[in-house]
Amino acid sequence: MIRVQGLEFRYQRSDFVLRVAELEIADHERVAIVGPSGSGKTTLLNLFAGISTPDRGTVQTAAERVSSMPDSARRRFRVQQVGLVFQEFELLDYLSVFDNILLPYFLSSALRLDDAVRTRARSLATDVEIADKLARNVAKLSQGERQRVALCRALLPRPRLVLADEPTGNLDPSNKHRVVDLLLENAQAAGATLVAVTHDAEVAERFDRVLDMAALQ
Amino acid sequence: MSRITVVSFVAICACAGGDEPRASTPEAGDGAPRAVVTNYPLEYFAQRIGGGVVQVEFPMAGDGDPAFWQPNADAILRMQSADVILTNGATYEKWIDQVSLPMRRVINTSASFTDRYLEVVGTVTHTHGPEGDHSHEGTAFTTWLDPGLAALQAETIAEAFSGRWPANASAFQDNLTALRADLEQLDQDLRSALTAMRGVPLLASHPVYQYLASRYALDLESVTWEPEEMPSERAWRAFRDLLARHPARWMIWEAEPMPGIRTRLRELDVRPLMFAPLGNRPTDGDYIAGMNANVHRLGAVAAQ
Amino acid sequence: MQGSLYLAWRYVRHHWIKTTILVGSITLIIFLPLGVRVLILQSARHLTARAEATPLLVGMRGSPLELALNSLYFGTESPEALPYSDVDALDSMGLALPIPLYTRFRAQGYPIVGTSLDYFAFRDLAVSRGGMFAMLGECVLGARVAEQIGVGPGDAVISSPESVFDIAGVYPLKMRVAGVLAFSDSPDDDAIFVDLKTAWVIGGFGHGHQDLAEASAASGVLRRDSTSITANAAVVQYNEITPDNIASFHFHGDVGSFPVTAIIAVPPDQRSSTILRGRFEESSGVAQIVVPSDVMDELLGTVLTVQTFVLAAVVVLGMGTLATAGLVFGLSLRVRQRELMTMTKIGASPASIRWLVVSEMVVVSAAGVALAFLLTALTASFGPPVIRAVFL
Repeated sequence: MIRVQGLEFRYQRSDFVLRVAELEIADHERVAIVGPSGSGKTTLLNLFAGISTPDRGTVQTAAERVSSMPDSARRRFRVQQVGLVFQEFELLDYLSVFDNILLPYFLSSALRLDDAVRTRARSLATDVEIADKLARNVAKLSQGERQRVALCRALLPRPRLVLADEPTGNLDPSNKHRVVDLLLENAQAAGATLVAVTHDAEVAERFDRVLDMAALQ
Repeated sequence: MSRITVVSFVAICACAGGDEPRASTPEAGDGAPRAVVTNYPLEYFAQRIGGGVVQVEFPMAGDGDPAFWQPNADAILRMQSADVILTNGATYEKWIDQVSLPMRRVINTSASFTDRYLEVVGTVTHTHGPEGDHSHEGTAFTTWLDPGLAALQAETIAEAFSGRWPANASAFQDNLTALRADLEQLDQDLRSALTAMRGVPLLASHPVYQYLASRYALDLESVTWEPEEMPSERAWRAFRDLLARHPARWMIWEAEPMPGIRTRLRELDVRPLMFAPLGNRPTDGDYIAGMNANVHRLGAVAAQ
Repeated sequence: MQGSLYLAWRYVRHHWIKTTILVGSITLIIFLPLGVRVLILQSARHLTARAEATPLLVGMRGSPLELALNSLYFGTESPEALPYSDVDALDSMGLALPIPLYTRFRAQGYPIVGTSLDYFAFRDLAVSRGGMFAMLGECVLGARVAEQIGVGPGDAVISSPESVFDIAGVYPLKMRVAGVLAFSDSPDDDAIFVDLKTAWVIGGFGHGHQDLAEASAASGVLRRDSTSITANAAVVQYNEITPDNIASFHFHGDVGSFPVTAIIAVPPDQRSSTILRGRFEESSGVAQIVVPSDVMDELLGTVLTVQTFVLAAVVVLGMGTLATAGLVFGLSLRVRQRELMTMTKIGASPASIRWLVVSEMVVVSAAGVALAFLLTALTASFGPPVIRAVFL
């Protein structure tokens, strides 16, 4: 569950101010956020994830009051509770597919890498049909495959919240639909709340609810 | 100062061919005391002085004259491994410049009387025996035929042994005293045997009796004849001329001359007289016994 | 921490060219000064060991360094010769065992050292195959000489003519190999030893009556390995000392006037050594006496001065390389800014990001250091013989 109240956020050296008076997203809900460029969609996601903190107001994500946590707690919360999917996938080209999926476990001591995790990574890869490419270098994958690796990486730590920033922005139409399917199916299967930013109406339609930034402000 | 030497690292198979069985590195000092000598008189003196402490080796094989010995590599290696190498000196070892010896261990037994070396006059090169050409050029070397010089040689040996094995020095000294007594006796015997011959013209078949003649004032002239080889007519003519100015009735021989020579000598009223120079080991007896036999023969002649 | 190290390892492995360059730079920074130092120390130890094992050297007045280098290492530059009578004179002083050396000639590129048997006892050299030289015209080979030219006891080596047009008309000498010395890890392994008298025969001071009749074409007599044939292509005639002609070999003139290039003097004690040196220093003669270890210390002093300059240069070079390595690192961090940002977003702490970067430096540096030490160890074991082979 995400609850935002009286939120106000401004970037340093910028006139842009993001204001959200009130917003609630229920557990397991799958929500698309739409709006024009520069309307603060990504900023809102960052606030949900605890990457940024609001100047005013509160953000409560998965029963945690993210907006008032100290940095280290927010990082721990993020790595354990939030799965992030980026528009540019942000995979590490010096790692294999498998190692990219395991990346959060290499980066944080809050996660413990063991055989169960590896087994789960393999099964996630099987779910998104990249099990035969685990040993490959990610640079050798197609765009669609790369986004699937990014999806596996986001889902592996069993997050309660999956935040996707333009997950289909770099994909051709056929891949776009498959990735959206995967995102929706897997978030649901994992029991996670899914919030995706998109400017693609066709994609947005597939979600349980569509939030328009213009309406939020 | 520096120059680049190209080092080839090409490994070439070091197959050693033609290996001769040779004694390996000679190193003196290990094992029993060893002395090597180059003729029989030195062997005898060294054995007398060493008295069983020093193992004395005379590496020449056979019964040739050691004065004309050409030692082979094995003999030289035996010398190299010896503690002491006793040489006669006085140009006796003509091969010494053609071999490698540890010069510090080489003892020239005649070094103490180089001023008494005798020159050989009237050089003749000639042939005899299997040794081929040889010459009696330079310095006379049969020093041991003079018991006085022999005693000096013995002293040098005793000194060398004492220097090398100081623990046995007094034993060597005692042995030397005994040997010197024998040599003095021999000297007296020779002197008395040769008193009658003083000033009497004598001949020798070989120029090897210089030191003997010098010590006992013998009037000795030498030819270079071999006992088993009939001299040429020319040699006989020269012999007759020699007799004309040097009327000798006795001719000293190293060994019994062949009957033909005896007959012709008798015609000239010259009788052979045997005096073994003892350069090599006698078939029986030793140096002293051999010299005593010489004395005995001289005594018999003097009585006539 | 383990994860960071793993990521660092994957990163350096993936960017192996960059890694190789960085590792190489670090290796050089460490190895250059260390290797130079080790090489100099090792070579110095070798030089001093040989020099210290040689108490005194007598030679013609001139460069003590040349005398020492020639007498200890048998270099190609031979000092002016002394008359052999000086060896006897030294002997008669009774203050030292004189060991003559005559090192003017070479055979197949290896020095021929004319000396006395005392040399072998003095240097503690043992014959491993065959025997010691016994007869004029025989030689014993240093272990490496035998190995490299593939010659053993019973074979022969021929001395090189001093020049193609030898006006003295001295023919090379075909020498019978009597034995091969055991390895001694010293310049003696690379020399051919003969009796001083044999060296004089090579020098034309002695000869046999049948030698000219014996002289014959070298072809067909030499061993059939390419080295020998090439090395002796110019040899047309040579002397050989055989059992048949050895008796006729003799020396002309006064042996005392024959040459030696140096005399190793081995005094029994320090006192004799001091007296002996005093005698030479007082005398106005043409000979000099040198203490090889002093000469070598002086040489090493020069080397150490040079070393200081070399090290200074290496340090400057090292700092340059280090700066370059730092720059490469800095640039790669900038290129990876976005990647590191992603890691931060996922939940990596600044500390673990720093540790990741440090891990990379650690992996690269550890590889560089390990390689540098390996190279230094190799230099320590193989450097000095190479240095000696090249410079001495």
